[in-house]
Amino acid sequence: MDRRTFLHLLGKGALVSSVAGLFPDLLFGQSAFDLGLQGQELIQNGEYAKAVEVLQKAVAMDPSSDWAYGLLGRAYRGLGKTAEAVDAFRQALRINPEDTYSRWMVEMMTQKPIPKLPKKEKPRSPLELQAEEEEKRVLGRLASKESLEYQVKRVVVDAGHGGFDSGAVGLSGLKEKDVTLELATRLHRRLEAGGRVKSFLTRTGDYYIPLSDRTAVANQYQADLFISIHINANENRKANGSETYYCAEKASNQEAARVAEFENSVLKFDEEFKKEEGFISIEEILFHFEQRMYWKESGSFAGRFQEKFKTDLPFRSRGVNSANFFVLRRAKMPSILLETGFISNPEDESKLKTPAFLDRVADSVFRGIA
Amino acid sequence: MRTLLGRLILAATMFAVFAGAAAWAADVNDLLFEGADHHFRGLVDQAIVKFQEALRLDPENEYAHNQLGILYAKKERYDDAFREFSKVVEIDGRNTFAHLWLGILYLRKNDLDRGFTKFNEVIALDPGNADAYYFIGAIYNIRHNPVKAIEYLKKARDADSEEAETHYRLGTAFSNLDMVHNALLEYDRTMALKPTHTKAMNDMGWILYNQGKVDEAVDEWKKVLETNPKDRDAQSNLAKAYGDMALKLQSEGKTKEAVRYWKQMLSVQPGNKAAVYYLKKYQ
Repeated sequence: MDRRTFLHLLGKGALVSSVAGLFPDLLFGQSAFDLGLQGQELIQNGEYAKAVEVLQKAVAMDPSSDWAYGLLGRAYRGLGKTAEAVDAFRQALRINPEDTYSRWMVEMMTQKPIPKLPKKEKPRSPLELQAEEEEKRVLGRLASKESLEYQVKRVVVDAGHGGFDSGAVGLSGLKEKDVTLELATRLHRRLEAGGRVKSFLTRTGDYYIPLSDRTAVANQYQADLFISIHINANENRKANGSETYYCAEKASNQEAARVAEFENSVLKFDEEFKKEEGFISIEEILFHFEQRMYWKESGSFAGRFQEKFKTDLPFRSRGVNSANFFVLRRAKMPSILLETGFISNPEDESKLKTPAFLDRVADSVFRGIA
Repeated sequence: MRTLLGRLILAATMFAVFAGAAAWAADVNDLLFEGADHHFRGLVDQAIVKFQEALRLDPENEYAHNQLGILYAKKERYDDAFREFSKVVEIDGRNTFAHLWLGILYLRKNDLDRGFTKFNEVIALDPGNADAYYFIGAIYNIRHNPVKAIEYLKKARDADSEEAETHYRLGTAFSNLDMVHNALLEYDRTMALKPTHTKAMNDMGWILYNQGKVDEAVDEWKKVLETNPKDRDAQSNLAKAYGDMALKLQSEGKTKEAVRYWKQMLSVQPGNKAAVYYLKKYQ
C-alpha cells in the first residue's frame, strides 16, 4: 500500500480500528505517530477539543508531519475554528505540496471570509528600522486621491540617435542626432524648472546608445512616461509635418506596420509568459493587462501631443500612428516617439536650426505632458 | 396492522433517505476530492469531468463551480469560466473567491473599472482579504499612483505576508517614490520567499546602481542571468552599466580600460551596435 492510499484510508478511518486492534499499545504511546492515531480516533468519535490537544502535542513533537497537521486541521474544523483549521491545513501543504486533502480543505474553506489569527511580533532588523523611519519621514507628507487616472511624475526624455549614428542629415548638413539632443535638453530643463515632474535624459552628449539601453534607462528611473524625440526625413524634399508614434497591438496603417516589422526583425521575442496548456497565471493576466493599459495610455498621450503640435507649431499634422514596436513593448510605462518636422525639407531644416524654434517645440511637448 | 405497516414503511423510507443522503454525500465528496487531485496534477480535462459529475449530484456546490471556473479559464474558455463564477455569486453573494475571479476576468477583458469595483466588493465582504488588496494595489501600481499602491499593498502584505508578488509590487511602488530602504526591504522579502524572482533582482540592481554601488548592481544582474540566461532586462541592464563605464573611461582618455567594458557589453548583448563600433575603432 503506498503512502497516499494509506493516508486516504486513514482519512476515512478505515485503518484506525485495524491498527488499534492489532497494536492496542500504540494508542497509548508517546511518539508523534501514536499521538496522530489517537487524534484520528478522537476525531472519528467527534471529540474535537481533545483531538486538538493531542494533535498539538503530535505536531510539537514532529513539526515535519504533514499528516499530523492535516489531522489538526480536521480537528479544528470540527470545532468550527476555521482560521486555525486553515492555518493547520496550510502548514500541512507547506510540508507536503502534494497533500490533496489539505489543499482541498484550504480551497473550500477560504472561498468565503474567515477570521484572522493574531500575528506574532518579531524583532526588527536594521533595514526594517531604517524603512520604518523613512516611511514616517516620506509617506506622511504624500497624499493621493482614489482616482484611477494615470499619473506622470517621472519622464525619461530620449534624444534619438547619437555618436556614430547621425540619423538623417539635412541639405545644409544639419544632423538629426544634434537636433534631437538640443530638443531633449531643452525639454528636460523645462520639466525640471516646472518642478512637478522629474526628468531624466537617456543621453547628455554626442554618443550612441543602443535602443534596448534607452528603455533600460526608463526602467532605471521607474519612469511614468518615455518620450523618444526624432526628426523625420524623406526622399521627397517637400514632405513635411509632425507625427507621433506609439506602441499598440495592431499597426494603424501599412506604413506603420512596415516600420515596426523592420524594427522588430533584428530582435527575438522574449519567452516571458509563454503560454502553457492547462496553466493560468494571475501574474500573466496582470502583465498583459498592464501592457494593454500602457498601450492605451500611450495612444492618449500621442493624441494629446499631436493636438498640441497642431496648435503650437507651424507644421502640417501627419497624425498619430501605432505599431507593435518590440523595443517600446518592453518599456514598463507608456512610451511614444515624436517626429517633429522633416530635416530633409529645407524649410523645416532652417527652422530646426533656430534656438527660438527649438524652444517652441520643447514648450509644446512640455504642455502635452502637463 | 396498518399502524405497524405504516411504521415499517416509514422506517424503510427513512433508511432509504438517510442511506441515500449518506451515499450522495460520499459520492459528491469523492468526486470533489478526485477533481481537486486531478486539477493539482494538471489533468485539466479529467478534473472538469469530475466537477461536472459532482454538479449533477449537487448543482449548487460552490466549490465545484469555482473549480470549474478556474479549469475553464485554463482551457481559455473564459466565457464559460465567467458563467461558473457568476453562478457561485448567485448561489451565495458572500463567496469572495468567485468575486475575485470575476474581477480578474474583467481585467483580462481590459475592463479596469469593473475589475476595480469587484475587488472593492470583496473588501466590503471581507476586510481582511489579502488578494483583493493586492489587486487594487497592483491596479494603482499600473496607473503609476505609488501612494495609493503602497496603501493597498501594505494591507495585502499585513493580511498575508507570504506572497512574493505582494512584496515585489510594494517594492516597485516604494522605489517609484525613491523610498529606497523600504524598496530594498520589500525586494529582500520577495527573494526570501522566491529566490528566483528575477524582476526583484533586476529592480534591486537599479536601486544599487543609482546609489553608486555599481559592482553590487552588476552582481545582482549577473545573478539574474545565472537564474535565466535569456532574461532580456538583465542583459539590457548589464549592457547599459558596461556601456556607461566604457563611455566614462573613453571620455577620460582611458581607451584600453574602456575596451574591456565594450567587450563585456558585447558578451551580454552580442551584436550590440555601440560595442561593435567602438571595439572596431579602438582595437
